Amino acid sequence: MIARRIIVLLLLLGALAEAWPAAQTLVLVVRRDSPVTDLDSVTVRKLFLGVPVLINGTPLRPIRNRSEPHLDEIFLQQIVAMSQPSYDRQILNGVNRQGWLAPSEAASVTRVAAELNANPNAVSFMWERDVAHNPNLRVLRVLWSD
Amino acid sequence: MRAPRLLILLLLCGSCAARGEAPQVQFLLLPSAEAVGTFARDALVTQPYDEVLRADMILSLQRGPFRLFTEYLLSDHEGDLERFQLGYQFSSDTVLWLGRFHQPTSVWNHDHHHGQYLQTSITRPAIEEWEDLGGILPQHFTGALLETSRPLASGWRLRMAGSGGLAPQLNPGGLEPFDLVHPDHHRRQLGYHARLSLHPGDLDESGFGVLLAREDLARIGPPAASILGLDHVQLSLYGVFASYVEDPWRLLAVLFHADARLFFDATPSRGDSFALGYTQAERRFGHDLTAFVRLEGTAQAADSRYLGLFPAYPRSRQLAGVRWDFAPRQAFTLQLTNSHTFTGHFADVRVQWSAALL
Repeated sequence: MIARRIIVLLLLLGALAEAWPAAQTLVLVVRRDSPVTDLDSVTVRKLFLGVPVLINGTPLRPIRNRSEPHLDEIFLQQIVAMSQPSYDRQILNGVNRQGWLAPSEAASVTRVAAELNANPNAVSFMWERDVAHNPNLRVLRVLWSD
Repeated sequence: MRAPRLLILLLLCGSCAARGEAPQVQFLLLPSAEAVGTFARDALVTQPYDEVLRADMILSLQRGPFRLFTEYLLSDHEGDLERFQLGYQFSSDTVLWLGRFHQPTSVWNHDHHHGQYLQTSITRPAIEEWEDLGGILPQHFTGALLETSRPLASGWRLRMAGSGGLAPQLNPGGLEPFDLVHPDHHRRQLGYHARLSLHPGDLDESGFGVLLAREDLARIGPPAASILGLDHVQLSLYGVFASYVEDPWRLLAVLFHADARLFFDATPSRGDSFALGYTQAERRFGHDLTAFVRLEGTAQAADSRYLGLFPAYPRSRQLAGVRWDFAPRQAFTLQLTNSHTFTGHFADVRVQWSAALL
């Protein structure tokens, strides 16, 4: 009788776990052999605002992951900390004043991974679950977690 | 002779890029269309053109720490290579440029350059006007420009820029900068600039600073009767500026003291001093509307023989307008202006469409 109750309880817990959304974690990623070992949040912000960030004399290449609308919200609120119009103006001003390069944009996770694989100086952000299955990528730090 | 040198430089740059990975490229197009109507006019000269179509094209290439940055302005009146800079990025905060650039003591032009979309008002302040549109201060130089910044205590940032290069000539039509595409062999002298400013944050647009410039402008061509025998002008500028940018406000004030010494072939040199400045306030409202006002003024202008070389210069000007950002990266602007030049007064109304394509 007790064994049956335990089994039912375990089955219920299993069903609950299925229904409950998994915790989401956004991570900063580079190619596995990238020379980048760490980037603080201020440097990450500068990088995605188009400011040149150099590692060993070579500029890093930011790739904005736009595969989901939710990622745009997190990008604006947590990474660059400004509204979309302000971000747009900052990027245009950087190109006009200094010739800074605007971050490239990737519309799918596959595209983000491909761009990271193609360039050891590329830096992007992805859901942790998308990185876990890709041995060619390395996580630098957690950017956001719900 | 100089055109082939420019070509060689471009080829060197190209071969340098060809040796490794392809350079990263960024292109920005800033088109605009503008119409002006003048009224209440008793001045002899108002503005050079009543309708203008422009396409400002910016191209930036980067390979490792090497950079190439160009700006070409094409309009229904002209086509000019405005900036052509070869750069070396020493660090995230320091870059050295060689080529033709906008001198760093012009606060307005340093922020907006030629692109109309990125400035709220349609016109720029008269003291920041380009040379070929009646500008009284040299803006384009060909030489070296160093830009750097350093962190200070409490998160503040010190930004510095210094430059030196060939200064524009002074001819009967006004100032004429060195043209890289059509170089001339006339006599040119040098100019030097320094700009130091403090800002509360790394990328903060608010801040304040000092501006210093020393420029020698060689006279070329037949002189006007008022400056018979003029050889060159030595211009010294001492300026301060402050800006406050916090949504929904954007405020800017710039003030210069200028010493102009005119050197003649046969007679002793003569000096004069004047002060010039402007202040602009912008406020953003709902529905993507931005209102702006600007006051511009010059003190001791009537006594200045240097300013007398520019009869169309607006010694005082007041303007107000509204900008409507009706679509992403597109704006429509209406502006009313009241100007007083050395030869009289006029008012004008302007409308402009401007955009940015990245």
